[in-house]
Parts: sequence; structure tokens; C-alpha cells
Amino acid sequence: MEHNYRTDLWVDWCPGCGDFGILGALQQSLAELGEKPENIVVASGIGCSAKTPHYVNVSGIHTLHGRGIPFATGIKLANPNMTVILDAGDGDMLSIGAGHFVAAGRRNIDMTIIIHNNGVYGLTKGQSSPTMPRGMKTKGLQRPNIYDSLNPVNLALSVGYTFVARAFAFDIKGSKDIITRAIKHKGTAVVDMLQPCPTYNEINTKEWYEKRVYYLNKDPTWDPVVKVPEPEEAEKKYKQAVDKSLEWEEKIPLGVFYQNEQVPSYEERIRNNFPTYFTDSPSLSRICNDDGTPVARMERIFADRLIRK
Amino acid sequence: MSNVDIDLIIGGPQGGGIDSAAQIIIRSFSIAGYEAYGIREYHSNIKGRHSYFHVRIKDDLVRSLRYPVDVLACLDAETPFVHMNDITENTLVLFDQDLRNTKLAQVLTMEGETKKHIEERLVKEGCELTVNGALECMKRSGAKLVPVSFRDLVIKALGPNKPPARYANTLGASISMALMGLDSEFTRSGIESVFGKKKEVLEDNEKIVKVAYDFVEKNDGISVKKLGAKVTKERYILTGNEAIAIGKVIGGLKLQTYYPITPAADESFFLEGHDYFEEVIAGENESLSKSGVVIVQAEDEIAAIAMAISGAMTGARTATGTSGPGFSLMAEAIGYAGINEIPVVVSLYQRGGPSTGLPTRNSQADLLFAVHAGHGDFPKLVLSSGDVNEGIEDAVKAFNYAEMFQMPVIHILDKNFANSFYVIDGIDYSKMKIKRWKLHEKNDEEYERFKFTEDGISPMSFFGKDIMWLTGDEHNEFGHITEDPETRDKMMEKRMHKLEVAKNTIPMEDQAILFGEKDADVTLVSWGSNKGLLLDMLDKLKSEGVRANFLYIRLMAPFPSEFVLNVLKNSKLIIDVESNYTGQLAQLIEQNCGFRIDNYLLKYNGRHQTLDETYDGIKSIMKGESKRVVLRNGA
Ligand SMILES: Cc1ncc(C[n+]2csc(CCOP(=O)(O)OP(=O)(O)O)c2C)c(N)n1
Ligand code: SF4
Ligand SMILES: [Mg+2]
Repeated sequence: MEHNYRTDLWVDWCPGCGDFGILGALQQSLAELGEKPENIVVASGIGCSAKTPHYVNVSGIHTLHGRGIPFATGIKLANPNMTVILDAGDGDMLSIGAGHFVAAGRRNIDMTIIIHNNGVYGLTKGQSSPTMPRGMKTKGLQRPNIYDSLNPVNLALSVGYTFVARAFAFDIKGSKDIITRAIKHKGTAVVDMLQPCPTYNEINTKEWYEKRVYYLNKDPTWDPVVKVPEPEEAEKKYKQAVDKSLEWEEKIPLGVFYQNEQVPSYEERIRNNFPTYFTDSPSLSRICNDDGTPVARMERIFADRLIRK
Repeated sequence: MSNVDIDLIIGGPQGGGIDSAAQIIIRSFSIAGYEAYGIREYHSNIKGRHSYFHVRIKDDLVRSLRYPVDVLACLDAETPFVHMNDITENTLVLFDQDLRNTKLAQVLTMEGETKKHIEERLVKEGCELTVNGALECMKRSGAKLVPVSFRDLVIKALGPNKPPARYANTLGASISMALMGLDSEFTRSGIESVFGKKKEVLEDNEKIVKVAYDFVEKNDGISVKKLGAKVTKERYILTGNEAIAIGKVIGGLKLQTYYPITPAADESFFLEGHDYFEEVIAGENESLSKSGVVIVQAEDEIAAIAMAISGAMTGARTATGTSGPGFSLMAEAIGYAGINEIPVVVSLYQRGGPSTGLPTRNSQADLLFAVHAGHGDFPKLVLSSGDVNEGIEDAVKAFNYAEMFQMPVIHILDKNFANSFYVIDGIDYSKMKIKRWKLHEKNDEEYERFKFTEDGISPMSFFGKDIMWLTGDEHNEFGHITEDPETRDKMMEKRMHKLEVAKNTIPMEDQAILFGEKDADVTLVSWGSNKGLLLDMLDKLKSEGVRANFLYIRLMAPFPSEFVLNVLKNSKLIIDVESNYTGQLAQLIEQNCGFRIDNYLLKYNGRHQTLDETYDGIKSIMKGESKRVVLRNGA
């Protein structure tokens, strides 16, 4: 029987919330990929978007505000053969969790980060998130926002993510394709997912986005993939991606900005020192014999601490 | 009584080879068959500020240090000033005579406050404000001065082309050992074991040892009592940091995460050097297989604990190590591990707080914080160790308990433990059985991670085996969010009940121990790295006819209330001994047992506690002179 990727819980988002689109796209993508469901974990931090794991019928870890990245990372470190997808709010990922977001770019663990970019802190009633532009005043704010916004795509590129894309929550099929590519990517993939929040962000609505978004690959010459392990090639593709990342307001590009699988994943870097890492991963490794005696012995491993004449 | 019982301090600038000197000394004596125990004291600084190594050598068990010392080896101009008070009649003070005329004001590495205190002392004694003045001061107390020109001796040994400063530590250590009467053969072995067997290095050190021993032999002013020969032994010399690392690896550690912080980081650094190795698989024929530990330097302590938690939920034995500042950052995640019943281990090395406090100095002031870390009510285990053998065993047990009871375990340690050198013969594997969780055996679609059971412990599974959900929100048996009041109560009771189960399962000797006589006139109460010191104190008191015992507490949460109360109720004079200001263990006792301790021996200047000051403090309390004695030894 085919696995049902939905749980039977009532989804408690506001009607019209972009998170529904993202959830649908993720479930479809997982169904399409067809991996063993017990080998998949959907992780999240805290926020409206962070409830996503409960609605997907694979394992889920709903963690702490801002800490989705290190929680997701720990799963991969313990078992590099797992598939891990992190659904993070924009406040969660780019404000309280920003330090982890930067560090994860440098690690390049093989996992996927979907940023639910709604411009607001949904679950705490509409305060501005790091993606809301200065001067914007949404319903939840007493006064116009006095922070400048950051650009998630541009930030992701600058801290070393090897797959950077943008998608739009209400194009479920388009988003599904991008998520699928992101999951298949070897290394950390970031998807800046434009997510209308009809309750607190009455400016960046579904219609507002629909008028502006277009797919990069409508241009047949658009090629974001670094194909050969040469610095010139990576630099060319990177610069082109940075350039495109600056496009906003009138026209908003969707699709893959940059993909570079020439960079070794963190797991591969671990394997350099620990050759059996993938086959005898920390989670599967035997630690004792049947009678409970440990298999690791001081005399063997720490013989350098034995002091003798 | 032991025949050999020598305390030595060797001091010099941080980064000037004091660590190697410490290694040389402790290894040389250990190889010669003597017992040794020592502590490193150092500033939060990389190069220049004063650091020293205090070690005691005996021919039988040694667990504590004493002032005044028998030998004070000064590798720089600062040491004689700073340790002026640490000597007594007949202390041998080795110093660099080329520095005799250095003025106190010229010692730029010394902090202003320290300078002021030393100046006051020198002025009071009528001594000049120079190294000479400090030496004069010590001489008046009966110390024997041993002047040596490090420069001349290095040149004599190695010729003019080698930088004398680089050899000062080896030379200073060698002369010290010559003064202590150790056969030069062992000094050479000690040096060799520290610096390796490269030909040039060996030759140089050979020459250094020779000039050192010649110098002492030909010095008419000093008579050296040669140490008798003992059976040389192969033994492990471990710091507390290393012991925990070793215990963790034996206990099946597979993922260690950390963010660098003193005095915890040395543990992870040591692990990084031992992260891929051969394991012994039992069977008809024992076989070997290769395996490893993943050690990750995380971006901060929040990441470190988060990675360890989710790694544990992916089936690996995981741990992190930190000290106060990092542990503060981990508090929220520890609650997450509590509500999600996750077996993660945190090695918490206390150092002087609050805030950055005394970053490289000792403290036991995070006990209540560890016990109460995290918001909300949730079960956690707080386990304390007092010496290396216990540290290794407890590192294994911490994992066992974490998995058996499915809760975070805080393994609380301190700087004195971390930076002490202990000499041990080996370890007892019979005490190190690995016990894992109650596993969910079936593979079904309906796994309930938080299934209600009689003992509150749900069958365990992990990511990659069954589908399950975890959330920091209150949840139902499947791990989905619920705010249903009845489920909330049941879940809360399920989780908290596990503490009872833990308390009833953990052997009593792992919770608290009463050392010494049952019926005593004085009862000392303490924990952590004070263990060895207070055991030595019991022996000392006994030798004087004082009937004393020592209530040593190991499990801080859940607390062994009945046992502790029973001991205290039947005690006469009770003294709480701790390295903090507020007597945190006594507070914990009062909180759990409703029993108030009235006498305190406290230390919070960050320096290691010594036998002499502890003895004086106990005597003063016994005489009724004071109820609260603050110990102030240490430079
Ligand atoms: C440490 C901590 N601080 C604050 C909060 C309160 N909090 C809950 S959700 C949230 C913001 C969520 O915004 P975002 O991450 O953008 O997610 P959204 O709700 O918009 O999906 C905050 C601040 C918390 N849970 N934890
Ligand atoms: S507040 Fe906004 S983000 Fe949260 S559920 Fe409602 S619409 Fe969605
Ligand atoms: Mg948001």
C-alpha cells in the first residue's frame, strides 16, 4: 500500500495561510521521492510554520525557537543516511537562529532548509520579521517597521550554501519541484519560500506575489549549476546568482539561483578521518558485547597515556 | 607513616613550559614507583601571566596537597614574589640568580592588586622591593635558597647557540627532582616520555639532566636525601578531563559536541586525538573492528546541546561538555530533553562565576543551577564525581542512567578535577557494564514514543527505526501537541515518576557514601573534587585520635534524602565543606531533608583547597571559635 504522507490531525493554521501550500508541496515531494518514511525526519523550530512536522506522516522533531538547524544537524551527524528537512519560520531562522543559519552554510550537511518567509512573526501576533522592509506597516504593528530587511537568498549565498532557491507557497507544483531538487541536492539546500500570512501581513498577499513572481528557468539560457570543480566556474555561477538575488519589488525571481555539488558535504569531511562513518554510523554502531562489556578499551585506544620507562 | 612526603611548586610564565615541567615531574616520579597528585593553576591568559604546578609525592596513596611546600622552583622573577607565603623552615627555594635584582615594579605580568599586597608584606618585613627582598623574606622564615643561573647552566650543557629560555623548564624540573633525591635515571625517563625519543632532543635533554644533577651534587650548601628505589611501574597518568573522555568512549560515546570553553574543552580536544580506533568484539575468538566517535565543534553551546539531543534520538550515545557560561545557554534545551525524555549527557565543569568570573579557577558554585537548570518541572539526573576512577566509571554510568530512565544527565565536575593529574594503575571493567534502554522491539506503524507504562518509562525507539514525533510542547503518547488537562497531568506524573524509579534503581554507593567511623564526633559533608582531600583529612584526624567521618554525596538529583538525613540526624558536629560562598550542598540538603547544617568551611578564591587550611578550619570550628570559616590559601 502506498504510504500516506498526511497525519490525521486537524491543521490549525488560519484559513488562507501560505503554510498549507508549503505543506502540500512537501507531502507531494516526499511521495514522489518515495524514500522509506522512517528514514525521513521533518524538523522545525517554533512558530506557526513550526507545526509542519506534526502534519507530515514521517518522523518529526518540533524543537526550540531558532534551534531547528542544530537539532536537524544532530540527526544527520548520528546517522548520515537519514533524510532531514527543516521547516523554519523567517523569524526563527533569520533572527533568533541567524547564528546557526550562518554556521550551517559553512558546514554543508546534506539536508534541506525551507524558510517560511511571511515577513512577520505569526505565532506571536504579527511583529516584524527580518524580511520585512523598513517603513512597512502591517496590521500587527503599532508603527511602521524601523528595521531594514535582509535578503535570505543573498545571505544564504554569502555564507556558503551550496543550493539556494526561492519558491512561492501557492504554486504548489512549482514548489514541489523545487523542494524535490533541494532534497536531492548533496549538501545543504536553502529554499526561501514566499509565504503569505493573510492574518498579519495584508501587504504581501497571494495576489501581490502572483503579480510579480516568475521562474528563472523561463529563460532557457539560465544555468545555476556549477558543473566542474573549477574555481572560475563556481565564481561565475555564484556572481550570477548574487546578481539575480538583488531583483525584488517589480519582478521576483523563483527557482534555483545556485547549485554546487563540487563542495564536499560535512559528512564526507567527517569520513576523511572516520572511514567507516557511513556504514557504521554512530547510531548503528555496536557499543557493547551481549553481556554488556564495552567494546572500547582504554588499553587500546588510550595507550598513549600509559607511562612507562 | 610514609617516609617520602614532599610538596613541590614549580612556577613560571604561562606559555613558558610549566605544563611540560608538570608532566616531566609527575611522570618521572610515577615511573620510579612513587605516588603523585598535582594540580595546574593558571590565569586566563595565553602567554606571560603567572602559572604554577603544585604536586605532592608520596610512597603511598596521595589525594591532597599541602602548604607550605618543601620545594619551590622559580623559573621567573614573579614566582618568588607570588609564593613568598608558601614556604617554611627548610623549604628549598630554587631561583634564577640572574634575576635577583629584578624590581617588583618591573614584573609587568603581575596584576596591580597582587603587587600591592606583596609590596605591603615586603615593606612590613623591611625587605627591599626586589626578588632579593622576597628571597630575604623567605630566608628569614627559614627557607634554604638555591641560587642557580639557568643561562649559564644551559650554555654549559648545550653551548651558546641554544636559547636558554627554552630549556628553563626542563632544567628547573630536573634540578627540582635532583633536590628531591630522585635518581637521575627516572628524571631522564620522565623527560623522554614527555618529549619523545628524537635523537637530538634526547641528547639535549640528557645533557640538561647531567648539568642539573651535577649542580646539585657539587653544591655544598644542600644535602640531598636520596629517595629509595621502588618497583618501577607502568601506569596511567590522567587529568580529570582525560578521565571523562576515556569513560565516555568506554561507555559507547558516538557523538560529542562542544563549543570551546575552559575547563571543559581539553576533554573534547583529547577526544579529537582519539576518534578512530579498534574495538574488541567478544566471541569465540575475540576480534577487532574499527570504529569512531564524531566530535563536532559547534557554533555555540545551544547548538552543541541541540545536536547532542537529536543525535541521542537517532540512537547514538551522545554528550556535550561545557562550563558555567555555556551551561547557562543550554538551559532551555535541557528542558527540551526533559519533556521529550531524551538520554543526553552534559559534562559540566564548574569554574569561578558568576558571568566570566574566574575562568580558569576552581568553583563548586553551579550545583544549585545544575539541579534547577531549565524552566518548568522535568526530571533530570545530576551526578557528581570526585576523582579519576570515579570519573571514568561515572561517565559510563551517566550514559546508562540517561538511557535507562530516558532523561538528561548532568555530570557535574569542577576545574580542580579537570586539571588535576592523577596516577592510576588501570581500570576495573567489571564496574563498567553497559546498560541500554528498554527498546521498542516491534516495527509497526503505531509506535507511541510516550506510551504510558507502570514505571513511566516508555519503550524507546529512535529516528531511522520507527516513525515518531517529538515536541517541546506538552504532548500525547504519539508526541503530538496537546493541551488537554487530563493528558497534561498524566504526562507530568509519568515523567516525574521516573525520578522515583531512578532513585530506587541506582545503587546506594552511587548516591552517597559515609566514610569513616559510624559514630563520630565530627562529620564532614562535601562533594566533588574535595573527596580525596577529605579522605586524607579523615586519616589525619584519626591519627590524632579525633573520631571523624565524611558524608560524601554523589547524586544531587534525585537526592538521597533518607540516607543523608539518617546520617545527619545521628551526627554531632557537622561541617559543610565546599568551594562556594553560599554552601550550596547544605542548601540542597535543607531543601530535600529539612535539615539545617550550621558550620561551614568555604572557599571561593578559585584556588585549590589544601589539607593544612582545611585542618585549621576544622579545628577552629571544633573549638567553637567560628561557625563559618573561609579558606584563603593559594597564589
Ligand atoms: C526563546 C523563545 N523566545 C520567544 C518565543 C516566542 N515565539 C514563539 S513563535 C515566535 C516567532 C515566530 O515567528 P516565525 O519564526 O517567523 O514563525 P511564523 O509564526 O511566522 O511561522 C516567537 C518569538 C519562544 N517560543 N521562544
Ligand atoms: S498567523 Fe499567519 S502564518 Fe500564522 S497561521 Fe495565521 S496566516 Fe499562517
Ligand atoms: Mg514568520
